[in-house]
Amino acid sequence: MATQMRPVDLLLGRLTRKAVAAPPVAAERRSAAALLKTWLPAIVILLLLLVLPTFVPSYIQSLVTKMMIFALFGVSMNILWGYGGIPTFGHAAFFGFGGYVCGILIIHGGISNFWVNLLLVMVFTALLAAGLGIPAFRVYGVGASDNPIYFLLVTLAFGELLVRVAISARWLTGGSTGLAGIPYPSLGIPGVTIDSYSFYFLVLGIVIVCLLVIYRIVNSHYGYALRGIHDNERRMQALGYNTWLFKYTSYIIAGLFGGVAGALFAYFGGVMVPGNMGMAMTDIVFLIVILGSASIYFGPVIGAVVVVGVDYLASVYMPDRWPLIMGAIIVVVIMVIPQGVGVMLLNLWRKVFHGSAA
Amino acid sequence: MSTFIITALNGVSYAFILFLLAAGFSLTFGVMGVINLAHGALYVLGAYFGLAVISQLDQFWLGVVIAALGTGLVGLGIYYFFLRHLYNKVPEQAVLTIGLSYAIANIILWVWGPFAKMGMTPSAFTGVVRIGTLAFPIYRLAIIGIGLLLLALLWWMQDKTRVGAIIRAGMDNKEMTRSLGINYGVVSTLVFLFGAALAGFAGVLGTPILGAYPSMGDALLLLTLMVVVVGGTGFIQGTMLGALIIGLLDTFGKAYVPQVALFTSYVIFIVVLLVRPSGLIGRKVF
Repeated sequence: MATQMRPVDLLLGRLTRKAVAAPPVAAERRSAAALLKTWLPAIVILLLLLVLPTFVPSYIQSLVTKMMIFALFGVSMNILWGYGGIPTFGHAAFFGFGGYVCGILIIHGGISNFWVNLLLVMVFTALLAAGLGIPAFRVYGVGASDNPIYFLLVTLAFGELLVRVAISARWLTGGSTGLAGIPYPSLGIPGVTIDSYSFYFLVLGIVIVCLLVIYRIVNSHYGYALRGIHDNERRMQALGYNTWLFKYTSYIIAGLFGGVAGALFAYFGGVMVPGNMGMAMTDIVFLIVILGSASIYFGPVIGAVVVVGVDYLASVYMPDRWPLIMGAIIVVVIMVIPQGVGVMLLNLWRKVFHGSAA
Repeated sequence: MSTFIITALNGVSYAFILFLLAAGFSLTFGVMGVINLAHGALYVLGAYFGLAVISQLDQFWLGVVIAALGTGLVGLGIYYFFLRHLYNKVPEQAVLTIGLSYAIANIILWVWGPFAKMGMTPSAFTGVVRIGTLAFPIYRLAIIGIGLLLLALLWWMQDKTRVGAIIRAGMDNKEMTRSLGINYGVVSTLVFLFGAALAGFAGVLGTPILGAYPSMGDALLLLTLMVVVVGGTGFIQGTMLGALIIGLLDTFGKAYVPQVALFTSYVIFIVVLLVRPSGLIGRKVF
């Protein structure tokens, strides 16, 4: 009889090694040089990001801050869509909810400490995801034989329901005009105050930590189990995996990091509006993921850079036509390059440095 | 008591507007399994087409016909160029059509400006009927009548005609239908055109009651989803049932418990999705 795999065994594979038969990539011991080669682009980009604010004007710096926040948002969504194959249409709900929790804690709760705030945001968004996940996955079905269209509709409805709640709970959320006046965070370290310059580094740090944690998660046994569910859920069930629990926990993890991105966005813009939880925002993050390639871990980062960059250019040159431009980008991406820009860039990279596009 | 009767009449006429709005979506979603989230935007586009024709030529029914044709053609373009190639890729269909709906809303804003417009009722249906001390607009009664006619037409089409039989066969098994020598591609294209044309048709008829502004498509899309999902996918009767439930619930909620009225339809929507995802009298789409 096959033992049931629990996600926690796989996530904490190191501690409970006995529960796991064999790691999926065991044989290959990678040398330091090979590791350096793999991580070289990431390291170069990180160094560039560290020195960037010294050389560029402040509007570029704030643009890059926004890109980083949306990169985290996109990567968190990709846990579900790229790795688990779960088409959630309400991921913006967690983004907006995280932002609202953050803003409400500061404005109504009087909690100004960044770390306490971030921790509470993570707890509350995880609770929300845990609450919404149970009904949502009831209609999800199993494997490719069931089309997840009803899951898509349920998650979309959850997001829009939260929008309506935010509009009507005016005393708490500021209604349809939004929750304004969210200040920059205070870190609780004496002598350090956050302005737009140091906020850039704070976002950089948080985003990098989150991206590393998510990278660790999706490349753990747990992440491989998620990919297995994406490819063939029935087979995973036959192998003894409780697939429902994997999908459910991945929903919570993705929601949690989406909430962190939302909280950073609330600090960044200083304002949260109900639309941040709705369909339009979900569509933007879906565009970020698909444009940047859902099959690559860093894909959504590329997607975020492109989408936020185009958004900025549109707001400068054609401020009224942004939805039209976004619609055109969506059409081009889905009809012409459904595999995403990330895959194209990766192939180019391999061609240049390894001689083959394989 | 009199307010109750008026509220009930209002609720029923609102339900029939919802039925007009959702009938087209129900056709394309329930029958073809294509999720066209630009349906709300097509409704608004139809409303503006109709308003343009009516204000130029002062011909209400010509406006209705032209709006239906115009949105039908736009819908045909959406299907032919995009959705046809995304068969069975539901998330991609959803992302694409949401994007298109924002693009359409932006074009409407660009061409016609941001201000809300109110449609004029056709002269034949202007005025009120009096029942005792109560007065009720004739136009709302006319909407109920048109809705009933459309319901009868679609019901007849679905159950008694060859097209209906082909559509029902395609719902059960597309490959089998094709292998029987039926050109299912043409049939599904025509069904999509008809569904989009119904959105435009509903747009013109609904404008005298709901008004029209560029960004109203979102709210309408959600109403459409609720109606179709609550009532049941795949049957036109289901759409009617869903429209009656959501329409009456919404109208009575706003009249008697305005604080919670904003959520009642959402709660019903989510409860139905969780308990019976295929709707009250529907069948599973996939």
